[in-house]
Amino acid sequence: MNIQYKKGVLELCVLSLLKKRDCYGYEISEYLSNLINIADGTVYPILRKLKSEGLVSVYMQEESGGPPRKYYSLTNLGRETYENERAEYLKFAQTVESLLEDDDNDKE
Amino acid sequence: MTRNEFLSKLTDELKKYNITDTADIVSEYEQHFAFKMADGFSEEEIAAKLGNPAELASQFESISEDKKYEGRKTAAVIGLCITDFFTGAFFVLLMAWEAIMAAFSLCNAVAAVCLLGGISPWSLIPSMPYLSGVVFALSLIALAVLSAVGCIYFAAFIRQLMRSYGRFRQNTIAAASGNAVLPSLAIHPRLPAKINRRIRTVALLSLSLFAACFVLGMTVSMISAGALEFWHAWGWFGYTAVN
Repeated sequence: MNIQYKKGVLELCVLSLLKKRDCYGYEISEYLSNLINIADGTVYPILRKLKSEGLVSVYMQEESGGPPRKYYSLTNLGRETYENERAEYLKFAQTVESLLEDDDNDKE
Repeated sequence: MTRNEFLSKLTDELKKYNITDTADIVSEYEQHFAFKMADGFSEEEIAAKLGNPAELASQFESISEDKKYEGRKTAAVIGLCITDFFTGAFFVLLMAWEAIMAAFSLCNAVAAVCLLGGISPWSLIPSMPYLSGVVFALSLIALAVLSAVGCIYFAAFIRQLMRSYGRFRQNTIAAASGNAVLPSLAIHPRLPAKINRRIRTVALLSLSLFAACFVLGMTVSMISAGALEFWHAWGWFGYTAVN
């Protein structure tokens, strides 16, 4: 699948994951690369973009026996943006799905 | 590609796009390597799964960097310099108090030894019957222990206060430059529960021993001097001795 196409959707996935709980970068990268076929490194530019847009904020948390981890957490703006984009995406996906299914029926 | 090759390639590529905050970006990939290697993956495998450094760097390109932080960081550093001056003076004050407490504890211990040994260097210790001397010596020892415990706790307190201030400085600069901040540290010392309990026990014991011996010493002295104001009877503080 086209990488640019995927990236927009990935942002939404990251936001949905962060809505549940605060995560550190590696957690998000593992979670997404297990579900979607992307290079592991792709998540970090996305996180940085979300941060520069003010959708997520970062903080450090000390872990026993290791360097402090950088956690990402959803801001209020991020929450709002997520809800709007989620609704938009679901509507869009539904339309696309019904279109593609129609196509399937025509062939038979 | 090994870990170091990957990271240095990534740094070079990021610099090509004039990204200033390369260290912050690269540290995320360093952590990724650390986590994966802990799971038993080889450096080559991890680098291959991460993707092409040049391609990754290009994905950071379009992200606008915040210019607003530049002025803020300078302001924070200047502010901290002023704060440092006052906080530094405050820490000197705390350390002076620590030194006074230590000296007080030492003086009490020396005075107790003199009383027990019946010696009076430069006639600093007023004369009294040996029994009163022993009881007072005990109370002085208890006071020395109490102030020593106080010293130890206070030293831990100063240390923690300094660490807490250090964290505050670090966080202020991080926040002003838009980086992640660490949780702030408590200002009271976090000693292990066992040591805390011990300190409390020793402090309480020495305090009660001091009070008891002090009262007992006064009583013994009053009885043996035959007067409530025994210091008059024994000619302390420049009074002429009655007997």
